Parts: sequence; structure tokens; C-alpha cells
Amino acid sequence: MRDFIETLRRRLVELGCPTSQVRRLVREVADHREDLKHAALADGLPEVGAETRADVQLGDPLALAEQLMVTLRRSSWWGRHSVIGFGVVPLLAFPVLWLLLLILELAAGFALGYGWDPKKLPAAGNPVGIHHLGMAALCAHYIAIALVTLLFCWLARRSAVSLKWMVTACTICSVYALFVQASIKPHSFAVGVSWTPHWIEAAIPLLIASAIYFFQRRTRQRFREKVVV
Amino acid sequence: MLTTITVKGMMAAMKKTNPSFLNGVPELLVLRLLARREMYGYQIVEEIRAQTGEALSFGEGCIYPYLHYLEAEKQVSSRRQEVEGRNRNYYKLTARGRKRLDELTTEWKRVTTGVALLMEEEHA
Repeated sequence: MRDFIETLRRRLVELGCPTSQVRRLVREVADHREDLKHAALADGLPEVGAETRADVQLGDPLALAEQLMVTLRRSSWWGRHSVIGFGVVPLLAFPVLWLLLLILELAAGFALGYGWDPKKLPAAGNPVGIHHLGMAALCAHYIAIALVTLLFCWLARRSAVSLKWMVTACTICSVYALFVQASIKPHSFAVGVSWTPHWIEAAIPLLIASAIYFFQRRTRQRFREKVVV
Repeated sequence: MLTTITVKGMMAAMKKTNPSFLNGVPELLVLRLLARREMYGYQIVEEIRAQTGEALSFGEGCIYPYLHYLEAEKQVSSRRQEVEGRNRNYYKLTARGRKRLDELTTEWKRVTTGVALLMEEEHA
């Protein structure tokens, strides 16, 4: 019993199945195996024979894990259309989402800090105020890039697609981040594309991808070591 | 085995036109069974096998991701319950699931009527 379920659980973890899904799938398959075993016992088979029949009916745990993952991936749009979802959608969605988040963040910042009172906004002639405002815009820019990247990482994780799709989406975000810019100067708020590369911004999505990769790897190692069904 | 059909069935949920012949069949079967009473995975697999005269069957264990998909689509809901000393996840149909079942039933009847007409014509 333990061998079959343990093998299934380990394989699911190796295949990148989200841990919450692993717990649930393993628990339900274990219940299912118990039911198969009880049915075999009811047919008059001895304990060992009933267990063997249940295992035979469930098949190879490795193959079952693969089937479960295929079904899991295909149960979401992002899993079924990985190429479009993580190769094309980020190309189209990044500029829109980034701009939207940037505007929302700046609007929230102004609303909280200045209460939309133009008199309280730093005047063009106040270099300190303009500098602070510029820093706020830069932070909002960084946060917007990070949030868009996190969104695609979350979708990749949720749909249990392979790591390459998360990396693909993060790379696209990184390339965009290399060239998009937002800045506040006296009498102007500029948002657009600059041919001067912005390496710090480009590093944000890659750092996020790396952090998620190492976090997932650590979680899997810990989860793999557990022998709880 | 119905496993491969299951996959197509889920794909059918996204398609609006020209569903292929077996698209939506696993969904129809599961929703139909759950419309009668709440059931757990093993029961569903067994009922499908028994009630289709073993003509159709889910791969053992493969029903669960499918049930989770239906749950994510809010067509079924689940609850963990202890019965006779054993914990099981029971699934039951939601209002959205019932609506989806009506749609699939109508579509299925339309397809089978069309096929029956064609077969009758061939025999005539």
C-alpha cells in the first residue's frame, strides 16, 4: 500500500504537481485503492491477493502519475494552451498590465500621499519634491514589472505546466522590462519605450523566476521526504 | 478506456461550435450520475462501468483530476465525510452543473437522433 502510494506521490512531486494537488490526489487515490481492495476482499480474495488486484487495477503508479498530470494540465486553459498562454499572451499583455498597474500604483500613491490636491504636489521648481516623486514613480515601475511577472508565474504554477513555460513568460517580461520606462520630470510624466537598456528592471523577472525555482525545489525536497499519506 | 475521451471532453468545454461526436460524454456521464445523488470517485467509476454494460470505463484513479476540474468550474462541489470509519470525498451537483447537464443532454439527444436517422436510412 505504502509503496504504491509513495511512488505515486514522489512521481507527482517530481512532475511539478502543486503540493496542495498532490495531497488531495494522493489521498483520493489511496481511498480508491482501499475501495478496490475491499471489493476484492468481498469477492473472497485473501488480504494479499486483494492488495495485488487493487494494484493491478490501478496500474503502474508512475504511469498513473503521468496520466494524472496530463489530466491536471488539461483541466485549465493555461495548461492546454501553454504556447499561447506563456509564449504569446505575455507578449501582448505585458505592456497593458504594466501600464495599468503603474497608473493604479501612482494613483494610489497620490491619493494616499497628496489627497489629489494639486496644491500639495511638489512644484516644478522644487528639486527635492521632484526627486521624491521620481523615486516614487521608479518604485511603482519596479513593482508593476514584478507584479506582472508574478501573475504569469502564479498561472504557470496553478496550471502545473513545466518550468520552461514559467521561464519563457519571465524572459518575455524581462525583455520588455529592459526597454520600457516610466519617469517623472518637471512638467512631464513619461511612459514609453527607451532604446537605452534598463538592466535592473530586466533583472527583476529573472530574479523572481530564480527565486520561485529554488523555492519550489526546496518545497519538493521537503515534501518528498515526508512519508505522510 | 475513457481516459482519452476525458481529455477531449474537457476540451469541448472551450469549444462553441462543431463538437466532435464523443466530446462532452465523460462530463455528461459524471454529471448525470451526480444528478441522482452525491457520490465519491470509486462509486462514479463503478457506476459508469456497470450502467454502460462495461462499454465505457474511466481509468482507475484518473477520475479525480477530472472531478477537480468540474469543481473548479463550479459544476460540482465536494465535502469530506466519514462513513463507516472511512473518510471519503463526496461530490454533488451544483446549480451550474445541473444547467450544464441540461445543455449536454440536449446536445447528446440531438446527435443520437441524427445518427439514428442516418442508420435507419442505411437499413431501409
